[in-house]
Amino acid sequence: MAGFTREVARRVFAEELRNSDLSFRDGDDLNQYAPQYLLTPTGARCNRIFMVGTLTERDDIGGDTEYWRGRIIDPTGSILIYAGQYQPEAAQALANIEPPAFVAVVGKPNLFQTEDGSVIISVRAESVQKVDEATRNRWVVETAKRTYERLESLSNITPASPKFSTADKPIAFSSSMDAEKAIAHYKTDARQYKQMVLRAASSLRTALGDEAFRAPSRKDTPGASQESEPEPLKSKPETNKKSKSKSSKGALFDNWAEIETNEEVEIFHLGKKN
Amino acid sequence: MKKMVDQISARLREQKIEEPDSEIEARLRILIDDFRVPESEAKRSVLNYFFKKHGITLVKAASQKVKIAEIAEPGKWVDLEVKVLDLWEPQNEMIAQTGLVGDSTGAINFVKWAKATLPDMELGKSYLLRNAVTDAFQGRFSVKLHSRSQIEPLDYEIDAQAKSGTAQETKIGEISQPGKWIDLKAKVVQLWDSNSEAIAQAGLIGDETGSIKFVKWAKADLPEIEEAKSYFLKNVITDEFQGRFSIKLNKSSHIEELKEEIEVGVQPIEFSGAFVDIQKGSGLIKRCPICKRSLTKGICGEHGKVDGIYDLRIKGVLDDGRRVQDILINRDTTERLVGITLEEAKQMAMEALDHEVVRSLIEAKLMGRYFSVTGPKIDRYILVETINESLPIVAKEIDELINLIEVD
Repeated sequence: MAGFTREVARRVFAEELRNSDLSFRDGDDLNQYAPQYLLTPTGARCNRIFMVGTLTERDDIGGDTEYWRGRIIDPTGSILIYAGQYQPEAAQALANIEPPAFVAVVGKPNLFQTEDGSVIISVRAESVQKVDEATRNRWVVETAKRTYERLESLSNITPASPKFSTADKPIAFSSSMDAEKAIAHYKTDARQYKQMVLRAASSLRTALGDEAFRAPSRKDTPGASQESEPEPLKSKPETNKKSKSKSSKGALFDNWAEIETNEEVEIFHLGKKN
Repeated sequence: MKKMVDQISARLREQKIEEPDSEIEARLRILIDDFRVPESEAKRSVLNYFFKKHGITLVKAASQKVKIAEIAEPGKWVDLEVKVLDLWEPQNEMIAQTGLVGDSTGAINFVKWAKATLPDMELGKSYLLRNAVTDAFQGRFSVKLHSRSQIEPLDYEIDAQAKSGTAQETKIGEISQPGKWIDLKAKVVQLWDSNSEAIAQAGLIGDETGSIKFVKWAKADLPEIEEAKSYFLKNVITDEFQGRFSIKLNKSSHIEELKEEIEVGVQPIEFSGAFVDIQKGSGLIKRCPICKRSLTKGICGEHGKVDGIYDLRIKGVLDDGRRVQDILINRDTTERLVGITLEEAKQMAMEALDHEVVRSLIEAKLMGRYFSVTGPKIDRYILVETINESLPIVAKEIDELINLIEVD
């Protein structure tokens, strides 16, 4: 056990995860036991992630053995999680949770390349556990903060950034090396992710505001509790939203719709592969 | 600040440069206050600025007369006026003499190479060392005397501090980086069997802020220390291995027994994060009746097959997205947190014919949720004294975050 240090579980929003397609092993690429990392556009180096969101669907897509797939929604989009015979506890948990429900997921990001060359990201769940709305809210705020911190270190090394147009590149810290690597690979547009963080925070703010003033109708708000609602989350807020949407929210839901379409394509590919 | 300005203006005067102190200070302040440049770097940078301004280029190899405390980087040629404070047995044939020299500002290790064929220095005498070269090892400086160096006896005595200039009296809880020379007042908590010939003694020492591992090298040739006694450990060096700190006692260290007893305490620390793991060995476990260690399949690592005593505990991992923290929760707190007594847990396990059901129950209650814990940190674990679920997010917290991001 000596020398084993557990990897930090990174906090990354679904939208950012779905834009990630760079993975590598630490140090020696040939050593199959070296930890594998996913580098996200804002420079999060993830061996493991922790996310809390709404489980909206879950199915056993396995054949002879159970293989569970779940779909987790956060304020920025959705991500698919998987649990099979090598993740018995997570698979069991997924089987037993009736969606929609808030769940906390600890897992490893996994990249999968389809035959036509497109890269799909999913999360291999180590643990899935039902949690309450307060936990989900805390996660949204925490993830917004962590993402914003990463954006800050990105802006410190992006020469294009208007605020920090210095040519100095501090390369001493590994986090800034990750940031540089992320910029080089993704040509990260910090504004896009700043908007994402703002959208996530604003959606939660709206939810909390509604809760305070008119608790009974909180089902109308995006991301609020849907526990008693058997319908899938996506259709319901979509329609309710329209009636009281501001322009910024419109953008949020346009994004959702876009992601939704991509999802169908992914499922198709995975189905084919399996 | 005043001291630094004086040093700089003195150095400038040596080169026949007069600059107003206010100008020097202004330049130092910009570097130190606005740009967070370390003081030694700032001093160097300001000096170079004025040298450049007056067209003076310093030949790199030209040695400068310095005080020991001013030595801030390796590979510099320096002249020092010092007193020999200590002489040690050279460790190999390449070294003619080694020991400690000091002046009014501090003390520093020196090495005189055998090849240098320089006269021997005597303990307690004062000398001018010309063309010595500074060196650094593990964050500490030394000077090397080589064939181009000179040693001249002085006919006056240098006022020297016996203590090394860099060592500072520190509390164990304050140790935060390796390679620092410190003084510690501590009590020996535990002595371990040394498994290496290079190590004379090893164990755990503590003060009111915490405890730390120590290693006393055999080569250091220091007096034996005893368990439960308190000592003043002078000039020891901090070390780090996999995130844990230790201290090393070597040749330049000193040990003095203290009359007063040092209170050993552990300062509770706080950590907030989400449970990302409830580890194996959590829940209902059996402990050895003799040593209280947890049993694996009814067997104690120390005492073999024993009749174990049931206990309830949690070995968990909290994570805040930046750091992970292992925590240990004892039976009382586990019972309250999970809402199950040891008796109920035993009943549950009996019915399910499996101890693991208790761990599953704990997982269901805790995984993914956010908690704040406090307690003393021993090794890599926080021994949890208080644990509370984090309060729900309030609108104000989000407003602050949104403002922060929007303003940026």
